[in-house]
Amino acid sequence: MPAPGVFQYIYGGRTETCLGLERRPMKNGEYWNPILETLPPEKLRQLQLKKFREIFTWAYEHSRFYRKLYGDAGLEPGDIKTYDDIRRVPKVEKSMMREVQGPGKDPFPYGDILSVPLEEVTEYHQTSGTTGQPVYQADTWQDWEWGAEAFAYALYAQGYRNTDRLFLPFGYNIFIAFWGAHYAAEKLGCEVIPGGVLNTEARILKMQELRATAMGATPTYVLGMAETARKIGIDPPKDLFIRKITVAGEPGGSIPATRKRMEEAWGAKVYDQVGSTEIGHWGWECRQQAGLHVNEALFLVEIEDVDTGEPITGPGKRGKMVVTTFNRLAQPCIRFDVKDLIQWNSQPCDCGRTYRLLEGGLMGRADDITKVKGVLLSPAAIEEVVRAIPQLGDEYYVVVTKKGDIDDITLKVEILPEHAGDADAIRTTLTDQLRLKTNLGYHIEFHEFGSLPRSQAKTRRFQDLRPH
Amino acid sequence: MTPDYDIKAMTAKIAALRRDATELKEISGGIEAVGRNADRILACVRMLEIDVSDAAEVLGED
Repeated sequence: MPAPGVFQYIYGGRTETCLGLERRPMKNGEYWNPILETLPPEKLRQLQLKKFREIFTWAYEHSRFYRKLYGDAGLEPGDIKTYDDIRRVPKVEKSMMREVQGPGKDPFPYGDILSVPLEEVTEYHQTSGTTGQPVYQADTWQDWEWGAEAFAYALYAQGYRNTDRLFLPFGYNIFIAFWGAHYAAEKLGCEVIPGGVLNTEARILKMQELRATAMGATPTYVLGMAETARKIGIDPPKDLFIRKITVAGEPGGSIPATRKRMEEAWGAKVYDQVGSTEIGHWGWECRQQAGLHVNEALFLVEIEDVDTGEPITGPGKRGKMVVTTFNRLAQPCIRFDVKDLIQWNSQPCDCGRTYRLLEGGLMGRADDITKVKGVLLSPAAIEEVVRAIPQLGDEYYVVVTKKGDIDDITLKVEILPEHAGDADAIRTTLTDQLRLKTNLGYHIEFHEFGSLPRSQAKTRRFQDLRPH
Repeated sequence: MTPDYDIKAMTAKIAALRRDATELKEISGGIEAVGRNADRILACVRMLEIDVSDAAEVLGED
């Protein structure tokens, strides 16, 4: 018998143990859909296997890309009989999607991965291209409806209701970003204000004029908006009405020091939400802010050991995320190797959901965890240090170069104007904390407040310029 | 705790919605306004199936 609070379920032929996943009392009114969100874990695994088989079969039968991939691996739909069989299915990487798309690829521009007739595609989006050529993403109307549904689970869990007036300061365009939030909020009955083609100052004034109660943006932009508001004499907690903020696109929402900065700057609760163009909105924090819930009824999230590829099914060990989207049909996303690092949380959430929690959100990308001076460096650890020092501004950048044979890390930060005279003390604190958290020494550059680049979109703060 | 919803009854109604919307599309006589709005209804029906009917199967309430 497992100990109290420990749940066991059968995963393939093995008995797996998870802490805190026992079915907890339902709290009606807290869930967008209590049927799925409180499904007993063993039923959730059954549902996932059923849905995996369905999407595998769909892709095999409708996409030339997937049929070749699976055919080459000697797999057919009937071969997926157990949970363990899922691991036999080849993984897909972003580069593979890129290769089958673009000029000369039929049907243009999506190529062999497209799984519906082109005439059924109603939505075009693309990835930002920060890691190379963008991936083109096709969706049917049903897929688009599904994307909104997936985001609706997040917003409802974060307390959004039909009394909210949600302001989206987002450049509505080819990037998927907060499109899902817009449509999901409408589903919930919220009033949505599309704050598209306005500059930051105009957006703040519009939020004030309309008494918006909630907002969604990247952590960088949430902090940047607060800075701009103060410049024009508006103190967000006092002069605005925003009490909930959903952040996405960067890891900051799950970095405690960054979250604290955002919550203090706005006098609002900040909730993290994760997703991507190819996958959809697969994880979110609920009102408990205890970590990211994986929406396990709509997605299968697997964690693999970075070095061995072995599955990590229990808490406490970080690994690489592999994700499957169950119900998006135009361009299926099956066992997608995202290269984000995550780990299961050992603690249950008090909300009563049976969807498992991740600890610490996205813990960086496997590509970004790099060896510097022989030490593994995670950019998220640097953010945690910088954002915890109140005398520093919100912006920072890290550049790794090579000087001769030696790695060199430069950290660029801004000191708040009222602390300009404290540079020496701040430098000492930064150096000590960075040494403590990352085991590395840095060249620290102080830049004039307001001089480092500000961005409304995803910000890439870590640059590795060493020759590879 | 007894849930205060009837998954089996909901699943039956959702199936009826799918049937009705599909039949509406079939008898639309090529009227775009009917056929395409029926498609939109069917997309919403699919969400209801994902939210309720698919789970009903694993819960043994289909």
